[in-house]
Amino acid sequence: MIEIFNIEFQNPVFIASGVFGFGLKYKNVTRSVGALFTKGITLLPRMGNPPPRIYETPCGIINSVGLENPGVKEFCRSILPRIKKINSRIFVNVAGFTVEEYAQIVEEIGDRVTGFELNISCPNVKEGGVLFGQNPKMAAEIVRVVRKRTRCPIIVKLTANFCDPLKVGRACIDAGADGLSLINTLYGLVFDIKAKKPLITGGLSGPAIRPFALYCVHRLRELKVPVIGIGGIMTGRDAYEFLLAGAKAVAIGTAVLRDPYAPLRIIEELDTLLKGGK
Amino acid sequence: MMWHLVKIINKEWLSRDIFSMEFTLHGLKPAPGQFFQIRINESYDPLLSRPISIADYEKGRLLMIVKIVGRGTEILSKKKTGDEVLIFGPLGKKLKIKNKKSLIIAGGIGVAPLYFLAKSLKKARIDFTFVYGARTPSELVLKDEIKKLSSRAVFITETGSNKAGTALSVLNELNLAEYGAGYACGPRAMLVELKKMNLQFPVYAFCEDFLGCGCGLCLGCAIKYKGSYKRICEDGPVFELKGLEFND
Ligand SMILES: Cc1cc2nc3c(=O)[nH]c(=O)nc-3n(C[C@H](O)[C@H](O)[C@H](O)COP(=O)(O)OP(=O)(O)OC[C@H]3O[C@@H](n4cnc5c(N)ncnc54)[C@H](O)[C@@H]3O)c2cc1C
Ligand SMILES: Cc1cc2nc3c(=O)[nH]c(=O)nc-3n(C[C@H](O)[C@H](O)[C@H](O)COP(=O)(O)O)c2cc1C
Ligand code: FES
Repeated sequence: MIEIFNIEFQNPVFIASGVFGFGLKYKNVTRSVGALFTKGITLLPRMGNPPPRIYETPCGIINSVGLENPGVKEFCRSILPRIKKINSRIFVNVAGFTVEEYAQIVEEIGDRVTGFELNISCPNVKEGGVLFGQNPKMAAEIVRVVRKRTRCPIIVKLTANFCDPLKVGRACIDAGADGLSLINTLYGLVFDIKAKKPLITGGLSGPAIRPFALYCVHRLRELKVPVIGIGGIMTGRDAYEFLLAGAKAVAIGTAVLRDPYAPLRIIEELDTLLKGGK
Repeated sequence: MMWHLVKIINKEWLSRDIFSMEFTLHGLKPAPGQFFQIRINESYDPLLSRPISIADYEKGRLLMIVKIVGRGTEILSKKKTGDEVLIFGPLGKKLKIKNKKSLIIAGGIGVAPLYFLAKSLKKARIDFTFVYGARTPSELVLKDEIKKLSSRAVFITETGSNKAGTALSVLNELNLAEYGAGYACGPRAMLVELKKMNLQFPVYAFCEDFLGCGCGLCLGCAIKYKGSYKRICEDGPVFELKGLEFND
């Protein structure tokens, strides 16, 4: 049992946004994790990007899913009640294209969830996304506007693409955020050498980014706020490193694509380590 | 759905770059089109599993047929009889076969899931023609097995001595009005061409593409079907060809 934002979580292993749908399929996994970050939710439904959406790279993948989701209304109507039956600890990953949209999405969901994870770091959309997250002023503005509309915990999901997450993170905390999660995917590109043009541009994730993610989390410890560590965590040992670096909890992303049951194994392995085993 | 650690009871080379693996795995009720995610190795490179169709399943004997096209399948090809493999599944929607005279169109390694389909049709006593094209005669794997299933099997290769062509070029020689359903699997270009032929009966296309999770979670395997994106792994991998929108 751990406590963050005065809320109890059964363990510090969460599921990262976008890799587990809405947690409705492998229910025993959803039930067993500390919390679920949902797929990014936008104000209006989104079809997502054309294929190819995933490309494998050394020890990682590049994805360009493009925030495919049913929109906040449909999410609240048909999906949220079903997730809540499986795990009550739910953070909705909120993806706006304008400052006001973040607030509208949060307001629509209200206090039906544990909290919100403001996604200001998605590299796979043309407007908003990572552009908000690279700019401390924009990021703070989003937090300020959302803060006025909810009393639930606000986590800001940071990017480390061409910016210092410490600066953006500090601005978000000053503006009223309760915690930070990082990192979102890193910019990545693969060329089609026959066509001589990009085959996929998107976000790099997986073990390839883990040391960098760990560095970023460690860098944020001076803020002394709850941090959720994300990036390439495949084992309990990886998770433990993030906790040692200052994270209160971790979230599992790409590992789930390799094995939907990975979170169960990671929970067990981490538990052993925390109890002093090896 | 779960992981199974299965032992290869028989591994065989069917051509220079196509091999088969047989496993024992009891208790499944798989349907044609379904597949397994195969763990390639325990290191993180390659990171993701590879989807391979069920080429046959009978009395707990599971058959897969794999063509080497890249690193993952190359690593897999090094496995020997007696080695163990981690597989996850069966995945994908169960295809309901139609009780209509059927046309099976296989291009290259696309034959793998269609062999299982043909056996299912045979079991259900549904009449079918099996058209199978490959690049060269040695790449026509499972030829004898297919002959046993259907007296009307047509084989063709692009380099064939008496007759050269592709699976699609054979279709022009058939009386297509006889058929009530079609099943096709092959390279994307073949499906695109087949769609253009606008056959008058429903054709079910087995789509093979790069997957992420393989089990409906990541939205990484989009294919456009009737105006919206569907997941190949979870909503497919079999879709009615008419509804598929290829962007080329
Ligand atoms: C449902 C399903 C069933 C299948 N059944 C079978 C089967 O029974 N037998 C069989 O042999 N194969 C089957 N396949 C195909 C098989 O999964 C692939 O051939 C295999 O995953 C290739 O892995 P690899 O590591 O060997 O090749 P890779 O190195 O991953 O890729 C091979 C080629 O594809 C390109 N490529 C890789 N990723 C992408 C991408 N995201 N976008 C565009 N190009 C890319 C690479 O550049 C390379 O040229 C099936 C696929 C699906 C989806
Ligand atoms: C397929 C896929 C979809 C993702 N979708 C989202 C999303 O909707 N919102 C978000 O904030 N992050 C999204 N992410 C980023 C992950 O939540 C995570 O931050 C990142 O992948 C790094 O962690 P990992 O290396 O463990 O995957 C996605 C990642 C992947 C691989
Ligand atoms: S591969 Fe992940 S949803 Fe299909």
